[in-house]
Amino acid sequence: MLSPQLDNRHAVETPEGIELLLTPAGLLPRALAFAVDLGIRGAILGLLILVPGLLDRFGLGLAMILVFMLQWLYMVLFEVLNQGRTPGKQWLGLQVIQDDGSPVGWASSLTRNLLRMVDLLPFGYFFGVLSCLWHPSFKRLGDLAAGTLVIHQGRPIKRAAPTQLIAQAPLFVLLQEEKLALLDFAERYADFSQERRRELAGILAASLRTTPDKAEQQLLAIAHGLLGRA
Amino acid sequence: MFMLRPEIEPRPRSAWEALDLGVLLARRHAALLMGTWTIVSLPLFVMLTALFWRQPTAAILLFWWLKPLLERLPLYILSRTLLGETPTPGQSLKALPGQLRKQWFAALTSRRLNARRSFELPVTQLEGLGGRERKRRLAILNRQDGRKAFWLTLAGMHLEAMLWMGLLTLLYVLLPQPLVDTLNWQGLLEQNDSNWLWMEHLSNLCYALVLIVWEPIYVACGFSLYLNQRTNLEGWDIEWVFRRLAQRLSGASGMLLAVALLTTTVANTAKAAEPNVHPPVYAQSLTPGQAKEQIRELLTRPPFQNRETVTRWRFTDQSDSQKDVPDRADLAKPSEWQNSLEYFAQLLEIGLRSALIILSTALLWYQRGWLRNVTANRRQPTEPRPDPNIRYDQIALPAPLPDDIAQAAERLWNEQPRQALGLLYRGMLERIGLPFKAAHTEAEILQHIATLQRPELQRFAETLIEHWQALAYGHRALPAMLGTRLCQDFRALFPDQSS
Repeated sequence: MLSPQLDNRHAVETPEGIELLLTPAGLLPRALAFAVDLGIRGAILGLLILVPGLLDRFGLGLAMILVFMLQWLYMVLFEVLNQGRTPGKQWLGLQVIQDDGSPVGWASSLTRNLLRMVDLLPFGYFFGVLSCLWHPSFKRLGDLAAGTLVIHQGRPIKRAAPTQLIAQAPLFVLLQEEKLALLDFAERYADFSQERRRELAGILAASLRTTPDKAEQQLLAIAHGLLGRA
Repeated sequence: MFMLRPEIEPRPRSAWEALDLGVLLARRHAALLMGTWTIVSLPLFVMLTALFWRQPTAAILLFWWLKPLLERLPLYILSRTLLGETPTPGQSLKALPGQLRKQWFAALTSRRLNARRSFELPVTQLEGLGGRERKRRLAILNRQDGRKAFWLTLAGMHLEAMLWMGLLTLLYVLLPQPLVDTLNWQGLLEQNDSNWLWMEHLSNLCYALVLIVWEPIYVACGFSLYLNQRTNLEGWDIEWVFRRLAQRLSGASGMLLAVALLTTTVANTAKAAEPNVHPPVYAQSLTPGQAKEQIRELLTRPPFQNRETVTRWRFTDQSDSQKDVPDRADLAKPSEWQNSLEYFAQLLEIGLRSALIILSTALLWYQRGWLRNVTANRRQPTEPRPDPNIRYDQIALPAPLPDDIAQAAERLWNEQPRQALGLLYRGMLERIGLPFKAAHTEAEILQHIATLQRPELQRFAETLIEHWQALAYGHRALPAMLGTRLCQDFRALFPDQSS
């Protein structure tokens, strides 16, 4: 009856037994990244047509070659040489990787970008959009063929601000998940309204054998201790 | 809003991730969402089309304008499923009128063009807030993720357009070519021609079909964004774990608590005894640049790099000092713009051509194995293959056997080993004097010979027949010394007529 909890994260296990948590990126950020790249390419294209256009037929030939290179190599070069990120993807914090979490290589990058032609069919990325919306890891057809994945790059970890508190040991054994929640509480403390802080701490007040007011400080102190700060 | 087991893994996410999660949410309940949307939106579309049959544009514009009201249905379904009470299609349709009533006028007028519609709808519909209260609430919620709701709507507009045109193109591609050839495109442009009205209505229908796919996703994305913002602001994930912890602890026995106390005090004293000199590893912050610097420095040290200075004698090279004057100074002189340009063009051409040559050479070189295979395949069929059937029949033995079989065989051995071995074989069969027939196989012959109780003969026959089979059927070469040995044995076994 119970379906699995919905999450946008995938765990990939490396041969060393390490679990990597990957967050595939969906259609919207990818579409926006593509729009940014499209804009950049458009600007370069304009320059390419304008400047060598002054040089008569030779310039035209040169422009043709450069346009061709731009069209086919822009994505591939950036993806392979810049850790799977074109400027647009970098802007939105996206990254192309292989399914198993390793960096994307020439072969896969070429495959996924050449198959754009299929995603484009019959007009305006019709197949690509549908595939991206339907696939659980948001892959378009090119990604399916190349075995690549577009993910959100990890965000820098937000650390709790140092406090003047004296670290305190918890009165009870904490599970991993509960320790993490305590740390989360300390790290996101500033985001919560005052009432909400009291409310959250109040849940544990009875277990801590204090009043909700003091529970707040006590929880912060425990989190402080969990971080290993004196 | 405390659930024992929320359907969505509670976790603070970035706004983009929340949007992705919305897609997953819509995907999970796709059948229900798309089904109910179809049931509600298509009759409305048909009604509008019938009403405005002469003005297809007005029909689609009105349909588009009413869209925000229809969006309340998917949102209602999603909010119910999140609480673990997935409604049936019937229930959801029954609940729709009640959902529509809330602030419907504002939704169709002042807020119709609001780009954050999907994000703000839950506040109106689920929290039931209105007026100033709603504004204050939105001001808090909009602080972080609101802007992403704008991007969602913007991208959604483009997606709708792209999917719509994609669908139209798909339809056009599927038209048979003769029909396309006879179509009168000019008629399409003339407004008065009412024969083409159905075509515009068809294209409107395509838009309605696109909305069946996109609208549930759009609503789910906005809802997911709203949920994520509240999770971030109110710490739903933390609340969830805290509540479970409180539940766990209230059920825990005093014994467990005592043990916990003991272990924590021990841990504390241990921590106090240890002087805190080094900061923990995770407290050191290194930027990638610093890390790279450190790595580079490490790589120059002995285990990775060993430098040694070598001093030795060598001849001084005199020709080096004399070659100072550049040969082609005249070519490089930028006297005329056109000249240098042509020079550059030639250079480019040379470069491109040599790249082509190098690439094709490299290709051939790397594929040489494949090339060899291709040529080998061509050559093989020209070589006549030994056909076992033909050879088998070609063994022509003299009808009356020669008197001295061993000698005849010895003579034949070098040029025609098959003939020689056949001769020996047949000679053996005749000399044994058993009534063999043509139908007897080699194994049967050996069985018959075994009944004679002559070990010498049996060994000879086994050797002979084994090699005969190997040669006649297997086309395998015979050992070098076999011929003389077999002939000797033959003479020894059947001495009577050899002389």
